Amino acid sequence: MKNIAVIVSVVFLIALVVIAVAAPMRYDVTATVGPKLQPPSAEHWFGTDNLGRDTFTRVAYGARISIVLAMAVEATAIVVALIIGTLAGYGRRWLDATLMRFTDGMFAFPDILLAILIMGVFRGGDFGLQGKVPKILIDVFPVFAALAVVGWPALARIVRNQVLSLKEQDFVTASRALGAGHLHVILRHILPHLWGLISAIAMVGMAMVILAEGALSFLGIGVPPPWPSWGLMIQEGREWMRSAPHMIIWPSIVLSLTILALNFVGDALRDRFDPKLRATRRL
Amino acid sequence: MLLAKRIGARLLWAIPTLVFISFITFGIAELAPGDAATTLAGEHGDAATVKRIREDLGLNRPFLVRYWEFATNALRGDFGKSWYPLGDQDTYVRDILRTRAWRSLQMAALAIVLAAFFGVLLGMVAGIWHNRFPDRLAVAFSTLGICVPNFVLAPLFILIFALKLEVLPMTWPSVTAAEMSFVELIPYMLMPVVILATRPAAVITRLARAAMIDTLSQDFIRTALAKGVPFTRMVFHHALRNTLVPVATAIGTSFGYLLTGSFIVETAFRVPGLGQKTIDAIYKGDYPIIQAVVLLFAVTFILVNLVVDVVLPMLDPRIRESA
Repeated sequence: MKNIAVIVSVVFLIALVVIAVAAPMRYDVTATVGPKLQPPSAEHWFGTDNLGRDTFTRVAYGARISIVLAMAVEATAIVVALIIGTLAGYGRRWLDATLMRFTDGMFAFPDILLAILIMGVFRGGDFGLQGKVPKILIDVFPVFAALAVVGWPALARIVRNQVLSLKEQDFVTASRALGAGHLHVILRHILPHLWGLISAIAMVGMAMVILAEGALSFLGIGVPPPWPSWGLMIQEGREWMRSAPHMIIWPSIVLSLTILALNFVGDALRDRFDPKLRATRRL
Repeated sequence: MLLAKRIGARLLWAIPTLVFISFITFGIAELAPGDAATTLAGEHGDAATVKRIREDLGLNRPFLVRYWEFATNALRGDFGKSWYPLGDQDTYVRDILRTRAWRSLQMAALAIVLAAFFGVLLGMVAGIWHNRFPDRLAVAFSTLGICVPNFVLAPLFILIFALKLEVLPMTWPSVTAAEMSFVELIPYMLMPVVILATRPAAVITRLARAAMIDTLSQDFIRTALAKGVPFTRMVFHHALRNTLVPVATAIGTSFGYLLTGSFIVETAFRVPGLGQKTIDAIYKGDYPIIQAVVLLFAVTFILVNLVVDVVLPMLDPRIRESA
């Protein structure tokens, strides 16, 4: 029963990635391609929105934004968490204390509030990149920055606790006794033990990033128009709910299924790698 | 005595945390393009006007001096004036936020009570009928409640209950709400509160279920049953108590979700609360309001967690011993 859910989730996520890659194949994402507010049809699978844009194409492109953003944020958070967590767990006590107090401070900040604060200041900026990179990257960058800043403290704490117990293990002592340096021990003996845990956390973490991006975009302070972020599409669809409910229903369904699938896969990975960690840091 | 020490330590620890948070809150606004002077001078203000206003407001003083002023004023509950006041009486941030904070707090409190009630109930039912239909239902609910976000639920609820069934009002009565009594406002609060409660309820269900299953498999429960304690009495007297600890913890951690939720729900239902005002302030770049809200939320967040930490040892002697 549980395995079926995991298999279905993996298949769904793979399909989502494929669709996201192929997103603009049928229609342009931001262009008017048909009559306005059309219900789903053979021509427009999820119907069209208030500007006559194809909703299916936009949901698919939204998947691209969500997936790329989630991977970028989670990768950044993991790298930062690995550096800080390993330094704190492996390093001297004063280093541990300093880094962990800082992490605690970040933790005390209700995270969405920090993200909102950062978005409030940086959204709409061009960071001197105007014309150098695609517009979408400039528009999404503040969201990436805000969520990456918010994402690492919880992870760093987990890494630190793991490293703290790993460094007392016999194989570390043995390696040290054989003359291995600290860097060798960290890279060869400690990091490899963290990958399983991190892969599980990354799945749930990506779900959290997608939810947070959706919330920010819904509030109008995330990914700006005309880009089709799922949260923004739901926000835009609210005005046309009576005549074109498909405008909010499709992004809602795809978003919820994505979160569900990521959670199932994350839980399965967690059970596989660390049964002790069940129930902690769930979404 | 131990408890008093614990509270004292936690309160002391709250001080550097608050300094840290207020510093970041104040510092980030500093990075924003433009300040109060450019804003107040308007779009056509020339450099001289901006300079004059900047001197009047003391914005040309060093950063740390201004931070000190901001922090000490904030301690007294003074957050200065809004940069974009709506009317003559609505200039001070404190006055703007007071009524709105009350509205948001009311809904958050109702949501937490609702979530705790249904979460414990579902968790209990799931624990008693472990691996049977009620349990599966509870698991399905908690999974969906965690995976379907507020900003999906809000439009969906409006679509179903306001537009299709037409049983509940779609948005808040913005003009008349101030004169309406609590009872009159209930139909308007129903959807926002239920949506706010969904996620905490799902989390509490999950934790209460785990605690219930764990407790019911313990020896002392078997002993109690063997001695002839009726099943219902055993559940309410022995097992239920053990779900209180995870539930209290969940209430503390859920507070963060309630914050996000209040932003979403207040935007979706046009509730004149803190969240709506904050989003409005971010659109306009009204930093005094943003700073005040961030600090207000951070203080509440710390206090809620403090209360949870204090209450936990009271609920569970095992935690009391280990402290």
